[in-house]
Amino acid sequence: MNVAVMKTKAEQGLAEQFEKVADKLPGSTAVKALRAAAFGKFGALGLPHRRIEEWKYTDLRVGIKDVLPPAVSDQTPVTSGDLIVALGPLAHIDAYRMTFVNGNFRQDLSDWDGATGFEISPFSNALTSDSQSSAIDPSVVTGPDGDATIALNTALMTDGAVVRVPEQASPDKPLLVVFIRAGRTAQLMTVRNVIEAGPRSKSTIIEAHVMLPGAVVDGQTNTLNEITVGEGAEIAHIKIAIDEGKSLHLANSNVALKADATYRGFQYTSGQAIARNQTHVTYLGEGGKLDLSGAFLARGSEHIDTTLVVDHAVPHCESRELFKGVLDDRGRGVFQGKIIVRPDAQKTDGKQMAQVLMLSPDTEFNSKPELEIYADDVVCGHGTTSAQLDDDLLFYCMSRGIPQAEARALLIESFIGEAMDKVEHEALRDALMQYARTWLTNDKS
Amino acid sequence: MLEIKNLHVKLEDEDKVILKGLSLTVPKGEVHAIMGPNGSGKSTLAYVLAGRDGYEVTDGDILWNGESILDMEPDERAAKGVFLAFQYPMEIPGVAGLTFLRTATNALRKKRGQDELTTPAFLKLVKEKGAELNIDIEMLKRPVNVGFSGGEKKRSEILQMALLEPTLCVLDETDSGLDIDALRVVSDGVNALRNKDRAMLVITHYQRLLNHIVPDKVHVLADGKIQKTGGKELALELEKSGYADYTGKAA
Repeated sequence: MNVAVMKTKAEQGLAEQFEKVADKLPGSTAVKALRAAAFGKFGALGLPHRRIEEWKYTDLRVGIKDVLPPAVSDQTPVTSGDLIVALGPLAHIDAYRMTFVNGNFRQDLSDWDGATGFEISPFSNALTSDSQSSAIDPSVVTGPDGDATIALNTALMTDGAVVRVPEQASPDKPLLVVFIRAGRTAQLMTVRNVIEAGPRSKSTIIEAHVMLPGAVVDGQTNTLNEITVGEGAEIAHIKIAIDEGKSLHLANSNVALKADATYRGFQYTSGQAIARNQTHVTYLGEGGKLDLSGAFLARGSEHIDTTLVVDHAVPHCESRELFKGVLDDRGRGVFQGKIIVRPDAQKTDGKQMAQVLMLSPDTEFNSKPELEIYADDVVCGHGTTSAQLDDDLLFYCMSRGIPQAEARALLIESFIGEAMDKVEHEALRDALMQYARTWLTNDKS
Repeated sequence: MLEIKNLHVKLEDEDKVILKGLSLTVPKGEVHAIMGPNGSGKSTLAYVLAGRDGYEVTDGDILWNGESILDMEPDERAAKGVFLAFQYPMEIPGVAGLTFLRTATNALRKKRGQDELTTPAFLKLVKEKGAELNIDIEMLKRPVNVGFSGGEKKRSEILQMALLEPTLCVLDETDSGLDIDALRVVSDGVNALRNKDRAMLVITHYQRLLNHIVPDKVHVLADGKIQKTGGKELALELEKSGYADYTGKAA
C-alpha cells in the first residue's frame, strides 16, 4: 500500500481501521483479495475533494474529520418494538421485511415468510460462500470507475440484501429493507445490496436507513446498490435516509436497464451532516425508461448532494428526473445531473428538473445540469429553480384562517408533493409525506 | 358593526401615503359599496382590512364589533369573521381545493371553539353549500385556482366565503374579468349570503356590479378619503358623470 498518498487524518484513520478489521470482515480468500485491491485503489485515490470535478461541491476531505470503527458482527440489542419505533410512519406499510442493525443482518427482525416473487438472502452469504456456488459475484460493480466511495464500499462491505425477482413474478407486497443504526457506539456501516428484477417482473423495494431514537447521532454509512432490471421488467425502488443532523451518508445506486425495462426511483433524504446520493443509470437495450425523483430537506448546516449520471447508450430510451429540495438555516443542497446521449442513441427523450425552496437567506443551492449529446435526433431538456416561500400565497392562506406555521407547512408540502406524487404506492406516499411533515414541525426556528 | 376611523395608511417600504383619513361605518345586515377611480386606495383598504403585510397604519383605527383588529394577524381576523374575496385569487399548485378548504374550515372552527369536522361531514357541507350557490364543487378536486378561468376563480372565492361563514365580507373588484353570465352567478352567490348578521363591503370601479348586488349605501373614495356618501342612486350618478368631480380630472 502506498502510504505516501494518504494525506488527511481521516484517510490515515481509514487505513488503520482497514488493517485492524481486514481479518474480521466476512469473505473467502478471493473476497479478501478483492478487498485489499479495492482498499489499495482507495489509497491511491484518497477521499474525494473539491478539485475533482464530480466532487466540487461536496468535499469529503473537509467534511470527514474522523473515521469511525467499521461495524463488524455487531450485536447491539434491538427489539421488534424498537424496529417499529425506528420505522415511524413506515411501520404501517404492509411489506415483507429484511432488517439490518448497524449493517449486519438480523433474522429475528426479518419476516418474508410466504413471500412469493422475491428470492431473498443476506449479502454476507454471497461473501462467505465460494464464488463457484454463489449466484452473486461481489466483484461486479457497474458504477463509475475511479470513485473512491465505491472502492471503500468494496473494501469494507459487510452485509446487505440480495434480492431476485424471478421472471414474470409480481410479488403481492413490497419488500422493505431496513438499515437501523442503534446503540451508543459510533460506527462506520458499509452495506451492499444486489437487486435483480427478472424479465417482465414487477416489484417494489423500499430501502430505509433510519436510526433508533436515542442511538448515537454521528454514524457513518456507505451503501451501494447494484440493480439490474430485466427485459420488460418494472421496479420501483424507494430509498429513504433519515437522520438527526450529525451523520454521514454516502450512497451509490448503479442501475442497468435492459430492453423495455422501467426503473422508478425515489430518494427521500433528510437530516445528515453530509449526504451524497450518487445514481448511475445505463441503458442496455432500447425502450428503457427511467423515472427518478426525490425530495431532500436540510437545515442547520446539513448538506445533501444528489448526483446523477444517466447514460443513454442505446436509442429509443426515456429519462425523467424531478428533484425537490427544502433548505432552511444554513442548509445546503447540491444537484448534479449529467445526461449523456451516445452517438447511436437517437430518439432519446430526456428531461430533468431540480427545484429548491429556500426558507432562509443563508441557504445555498448548487445546481449543475450537464447535457452531453452526441446524437442529433433527440429531445433533451433540463431546468433548475430556486425560490423563497411566496408571501402572497402565505397571506392568502392566512386570510382564510390558516395559522402561519400551518400555512407554511401546507405550501412546503405542496412544493415537495409534486415529486412525492411520483411514488405510486399510496400508503408509502403517505408515509413519505408524514416524514416531511415531522421534519417541518420539528422546525426549531 | 365595522367602524373605520380616520384611517391613514402608507406603504411600508416607500414614502407613499395612500389612505388619508378614511372614515366609514357599516352596520351588521347592510351592504355598502365603495366606488372610486383607479389609484384611489380601494384595494389598499381591502388589504389593510384583511391584514396584509407591506402597509403601515400611521393613524386611525379599524374596529370590528367594537374591537380593534389592527394588531391581529390575518388568520386571527379571519377567526373574528373577516373575509376578503380577492380581486386576483391566488393559485396554489399542489394543494387540492378540498384540502385547502378543509384545513381552513377546521382551523377557523378550532379558533371559534367549535369541533373540527370529519372528512365526511366536511364533504357533506361542501356539497350543500355548492348546491345552494349553484356552484359545481368538482373544481375543488383540482389544485386551488390552478388553471381556472376568471369566472371559476371568483366562484371559488364565493364558495370559500359561504363555507367559512364570515360576518364581514370584503369583496375587492369581484366583477373584474367576468362576463355577464359569470357576473350573475357570482352576484347571486353574494346575495344568497346576505343576512341580518353579516356586513358586506363591495369595492368596485364600475356601477354594473351594483345592478346585481344592490347596496344600502354607496361611498365614493378618491384621494384616500371618502368624498361622498349616498344611496344606491349615487352609483348611477357616477356612471353618468364619472369621477371627475372628485379627482379634479377625468378618470
